[in-house]
Amino acid sequence: MEKRLLKKDKLAGIIKNISREMLVYAPVKEEDNVLFMALKEGREPLLDFSNSRNAPKTFFFPRTEIMMKYTRTGKGMELSTGEVEVREAVLFGVRPCDARSFALLDMLFEQDKYKDPYYIARREKTTVISMACVHPPYSTCFCTSVDGSPTSGEGADILLMDIGDNYLVEFITSRGEKLLKYFGDLPKAGEAEETLKKEIAERAEKEIKSHIPAKDIKPILDNNFEHPFWETIHRKCLACGTCTYLCPTCHCFDISDEAKGSDGIRIRNWDSCMYPLFTLETSGHNPRTTQKERWRQRVMHKFKYYVDNFGAISCVGCGRCVMYCPVNLDIRKIVEDIAKL
Amino acid sequence: MENVETKLREEAKKLLAEKKADIIVGYEKGTLPLLAPPCFITDPEDAEKLVWNAFCVQNLAKFVHDLLSQHRESQKRLKPADRTKKTVGVVARGCTTRSLVIHLQEKQYNRDDIVILGVPCTGYVDRKKMDALIAGEEILEASVAGDSVLVKTAAGERKIPLKEALADNCLACRFNNPLISDLMTGDHAPAMDVTQEYARVDEFEKLSPDERWNYFTREMDKCVRCYACRNACPSCYCKVCFVEQSQPRWVGIGEDRSDTQVFQLMRLFHMAGRCVDCGSCIAVCPMGVDLRRFLKKLDKDALELFEHRAGISPDEPAMLGAFKESDKEDFIFTPK
Ligand code: SF4
Ligand code: SF4
Ligand code: SF4
Ligand code: SF4
Repeated sequence: MEKRLLKKDKLAGIIKNISREMLVYAPVKEEDNVLFMALKEGREPLLDFSNSRNAPKTFFFPRTEIMMKYTRTGKGMELSTGEVEVREAVLFGVRPCDARSFALLDMLFEQDKYKDPYYIARREKTTVISMACVHPPYSTCFCTSVDGSPTSGEGADILLMDIGDNYLVEFITSRGEKLLKYFGDLPKAGEAEETLKKEIAERAEKEIKSHIPAKDIKPILDNNFEHPFWETIHRKCLACGTCTYLCPTCHCFDISDEAKGSDGIRIRNWDSCMYPLFTLETSGHNPRTTQKERWRQRVMHKFKYYVDNFGAISCVGCGRCVMYCPVNLDIRKIVEDIAKL
Repeated sequence: MENVETKLREEAKKLLAEKKADIIVGYEKGTLPLLAPPCFITDPEDAEKLVWNAFCVQNLAKFVHDLLSQHRESQKRLKPADRTKKTVGVVARGCTTRSLVIHLQEKQYNRDDIVILGVPCTGYVDRKKMDALIAGEEILEASVAGDSVLVKTAAGERKIPLKEALADNCLACRFNNPLISDLMTGDHAPAMDVTQEYARVDEFEKLSPDERWNYFTREMDKCVRCYACRNACPSCYCKVCFVEQSQPRWVGIGEDRSDTQVFQLMRLFHMAGRCVDCGSCIAVCPMGVDLRRFLKKLDKDALELFEHRAGISPDEPAMLGAFKESDKEDFIFTPK
């Protein structure tokens, strides 16, 4: 793994250079929000930001995508793939928690049994450049409770860490190393920077204020599918799905046909366990009749089923659902309450 | 406010202990600053959790309707002899009581199904305004003292005039005190300034149809159709909303802007004479869509064309459920 040192004032120029040849998605300021968006003329990437409101998963797994197109003709149905050309891209400025979400999503979309061609095509063509959280940006960050860390490089191809005058640039994967040429001839990092990195990492972890017993609740969930506790959490929930749409790891989808006259498209859309249409069957029956069952699904999926299936909790601790839920339904508190059951 | 809070807890505790209410919907302290989310209390001892302050935002009438209609559904499966009555207590400010009145006008439940704990209201703090005022810093603590909001961020403490932080609908609120209640927990709050109530609507009416349409489409393009606005609104209580019907399906689930516009137009028109300007829909919208301007336009139309203000008198019928000879009809033939 290459480790180099980059003068801090050089970074913006490098990103701009890359964006001349490839698609670059980076955090930018849009009205009142910081959002991940494709860079174009007049859109400056933010280098100093907390985190984006939307999770960057959308570049691998968009909110809506066309899977195929069809036309009804005199001779029957004509089908064509909806595939759009996937371009080489760079995802710049991803926080370690969000980068880790890619590693978690890979487990699902690229497993032995099922391979999702749409996700994989984009993932393979995209280089992820992460920005370590030298100071955790929010008091709600809890990455360390779910096996992450504010300075982790998991899921990233390149990791940048602000170590004072320089960024320590780690080219973690071979995909990351392919971008070396854009960085120019950088000095190699030495012992001193390694020690500095360790110190910064330790301090950043200590600065995390929010800790939850996320790893203790699995055995409790295993045995309490039926429990009066499930009656108590959902009542104020507005079923808006903000929590799951902003979540970097939520990945449920729904497939639907939209037809106009003889033409139609088959699209895949984000779904959300918070919605009344979630798992509604054609017959009109829904095994999850109320918000109670839907909320149980959300907790179970993240802290039990994903652990059963892939050995990892499906939450990276970014805190978006905590910060943006309009009725303050705080998953940290729910996990704490479950741990006490 | 503190006295109101103490009284509120006492009364709530009594209602539950004396079984005059089975559940009380109120507000509790949130896990984050600036938030006092809805809470549901059934154990008299838990009445201590209730709070009443400028961070209480949601119109709780929505939850009253939820609880009572769920209860009614659950009773259907029982033999008549086994059926029980459920009484819901609710902490209600001016706009909340107006929504309760709408429910009563629309025969959603009976007056004796609810117990209203009236609270005087001086407006609530708009979280989005606060975020803009604080400009990106994380708010670590917040409290209201007199007519300022005190906030703590990593950079230190700041004092923000309450007036700058209050929600727009609160600043121009005509009915900030409960219109109906069973128990009042404090003296009436002073009136707000209603002179600017329709200022943004008046401005809007002066625009050309194209300009108005452009404004509408621009705002609606922000909408991600999460339906939080609908779900937070006490007047949106259809059992199955048309957007979620699948046989037939009225709107697609993709990102087609016309689907979003259809949803919004339909919801907005269903609010004619039924919107109490509580601001709940705006407060929960994750995208900052300017719903209020359109809602206020309909509200103004209801007033001018039908002399109707939403939810101010339980004895009056619902606007669209009644005919008055004085109802204007020229707009049908010569729309503006
Ligand atoms: S963000 Fe909050 S209100 Fe919306 S669906 Fe999630 S938990 Fe429910
Ligand atoms: S959760 Fe951890 S990795 Fe994510 S932004 Fe916070 S500190 Fe950084
Ligand atoms: S439309 Fe919005 S402001 Fe009007 S009653 Fe419903 S939630 Fe309140
Ligand atoms: S809350 Fe906002 S984003 Fe969600 S459906 Fe309503 S207007 Fe659209």
